[in-house]
Amino acid sequence: MTARATAIPAAFDPGRAEGRGSADTARGFVTAALLGWRMEANWTDPLLFFIYSVAKPVASALILVFMLEVIAGPGARDLRSFVIVGSALWAFVMSGMAGLAWSVLDDRERYRMLKYVYVSPSDFLVLLVGRGVARIAIGAMGALIVLAVGVVFLGLRFDPGAVDWAMLGLVLLVGLAAIVALGVILAAVCMQTRQESWSYPEAVAGALFLLVGAVFPLAVLPLPAQAAGLALPLTWWLEGVRMALFPGGRSAIGGEGSLWTAWTGSAAPDGGAIVGTLLATSLMITLVAAAAFRVSERRAKDRGLIDRTTGS
Amino acid sequence: MSALARPAAGTPQADAAWDRRRVFLANLRSVGGRAYPRVHGLFREPSWVLFEILLPFLTTSAFVFVYRALQAPPEYVGFVVLGGAMTAFWLNVIWMMAAQLYWEKDQGNLELYFASPVDMMSVLFGMAVGGLIMSSTRAAVVLAVGAVVYGVTFTVDQWGLLLLVFFLTLAALYGLGMMLSSLFVLWGREAWHLTQLLQEPVYFVSGLNFPVGRLGFLGALAVALIPLAVGLDAMRQLAFAGALGPTGTPPPEIEALILVGMAVTFTWMARVMLRILERLAREKGRLSARWR
Repeated sequence: MTARATAIPAAFDPGRAEGRGSADTARGFVTAALLGWRMEANWTDPLLFFIYSVAKPVASALILVFMLEVIAGPGARDLRSFVIVGSALWAFVMSGMAGLAWSVLDDRERYRMLKYVYVSPSDFLVLLVGRGVARIAIGAMGALIVLAVGVVFLGLRFDPGAVDWAMLGLVLLVGLAAIVALGVILAAVCMQTRQESWSYPEAVAGALFLLVGAVFPLAVLPLPAQAAGLALPLTWWLEGVRMALFPGGRSAIGGEGSLWTAWTGSAAPDGGAIVGTLLATSLMITLVAAAAFRVSERRAKDRGLIDRTTGS
Repeated sequence: MSALARPAAGTPQADAAWDRRRVFLANLRSVGGRAYPRVHGLFREPSWVLFEILLPFLTTSAFVFVYRALQAPPEYVGFVVLGGAMTAFWLNVIWMMAAQLYWEKDQGNLELYFASPVDMMSVLFGMAVGGLIMSSTRAAVVLAVGAVVYGVTFTVDQWGLLLLVFFLTLAALYGLGMMLSSLFVLWGREAWHLTQLLQEPVYFVSGLNFPVGRLGFLGALAVALIPLAVGLDAMRQLAFAGALGPTGTPPPEIEALILVGMAVTFTWMARVMLRILERLAREKGRLSARWR
C-alpha cells in the first residue's frame, strides 16, 4: 500500500491542479476570444453579418455629415474630415467598451453560464476580456469601413505616404488598452446591476462622446468640461490617431478659446505631448479599472449577484 | 349538446368557460401585471437615473455642441433637444418592445405567456404601457433640462395639434413595437443585430438632428413608413412655427393623418402577425427554443 501511495505523486501532474501560469492564461484568453467570435458571427451568412456590423457606424457618420451640410454646406470640407474620422473611431470605442459589459450580461442573464465561467480555473477577468475581443474586431472593421466610405464617397483626403505609421501603431495600441480598461469598468458596473444594463455602455459612450472632442473641437465646451476631457485617454487617442493619419489637420484639443492653448500657449499639442499624456491617462484608467473590477467581483460574490437573473 | 354548451359546475370544462367580463378582467389584469415590473423597476434600480436619464442627456448635448461649433441658428439646437427626447421612446420601442419577446424566449417566459389564459396582445399592451412610463421620464428630463440649459425657445401656435401629434406618434411607435415583437419571436439571434440596425440607421433616415426633408426621396420614404420620422417632423413644424421655412414635407395636419394610419395599421398587423407567427413558431418548434 505504501509503495503504491508514494508512486501516485510521481505520476501526478501538479500543473493540472495549480495551473500553468501564463500558458493557461493565454489558452483561456484565446478560447474566450474564439467563443465570443463564434457567438457573434457563426449563425449568419457573412454578407448579412457585414451589413449588420457596418450599418450603424456608417449611419452615425452620415448623421453628422448631414448636420454639417445643412448648416455649413459643402464649404466645410475641413470640418467634414474631422467629423468623419472622429465618428469612425468612435465606432471602435463603442464596440470595445460594450463588448466586455455585454459579456457579463450575456453570460448571466441569457445563457446563465456566468457562475460556471466564474468557478472555472481560468482568471475571470482574462475570460471577459477575451470575450470582448470579438466586438473589438467588429468595431475595428466598422471604423475602417467608415473611413473607406469617407475617402470614396465623402471627399475625405487620405494620403498613405503622409501617414506617420509608427505613431499610429503606438497610439492605437495604447488607446486599445484604455478602451478595454473602460470596458472593464463597465463590466464591473454591470455585475452589480440588472438586465436593463444592456444600454449602459452606449449611455456611457454617448456621455464621453461629449467630452473627448470626437466630432467638434473641445474649445466650444465650457472650461470644466474641457478639463474633464483633457483628463480622459480617449481625447488624446483620437488626437493621436488624427495627427498620425492626417498630419496638419485640425486639432480637437488646441485652438482659440481652448483650455490647452490658455495653459500652454501653443496652438495644439505636438506628437510627444499626445503620446506622453495618452500613456499617463491610460495607465491611470487601467489601474482604476483593475481596482473597480476586483471590488465589484468581491461584492457580487458576497451578495450572490453572479448567478442572479432579472427581468423587466 | 346541452351538456357540452353548459358544462356541470365544478368541472374543468366549467372552469374554462369564461364569460366576456371575466376574459376582459383577466386581460386587464395582465396589462397591469406586465406593466408593473417596468414601473416598479424605476424605483428599485437607482443606477437607472444616471444611465438612462443623465448620460443620454449628455449624448444629446454632444449634438447641440456640434451645431454650436457650426454657429447654427438656435432653432437647430431645439431640433436636437426634441430629437433627443423622442429617441427615448424609439429606444424603448426597439429594445423593450420589439426585442422583448425574444428575451422572454431566452429566459423561458415566452411559453408561459402563450400558455396563460390571456390574449398575447394584452401582454404586449402591458409592456407598452410600462415602457411608455419609463421613457416619458427620460424624454421629459431631456426636453426640460435641454430647453433650460441650452435656452431653447419653442414657438407653438397650435398646442392642441402638437399634443395630438405627440400622442399619435406614441401610438404609432408602440404599434410598430408590438408588430416587430411578433416578428422577433420567430427570429433568432438576428434579433440583437436587428435592434442595433434599427438605431442609428433609423435616426439618420428619420432626420433626428436635421430636417428630414433635406434627405429628398429617402426622407419622403421615411415619412411614409417610420413613425419617428413623420412624428418628429410634424412636432418640429408645430414647436418651431415659422422658423423652418419650407421643409419639403407635408404640413402637420397631413402628417397627423399619416400617423393615424400608421397607428391603426401597425396595431392591426401586430395582431395578425402575432397569430401567424405564433403558429409558425409552434410548427417549427421555436417557441421554446432558446439561444438560437
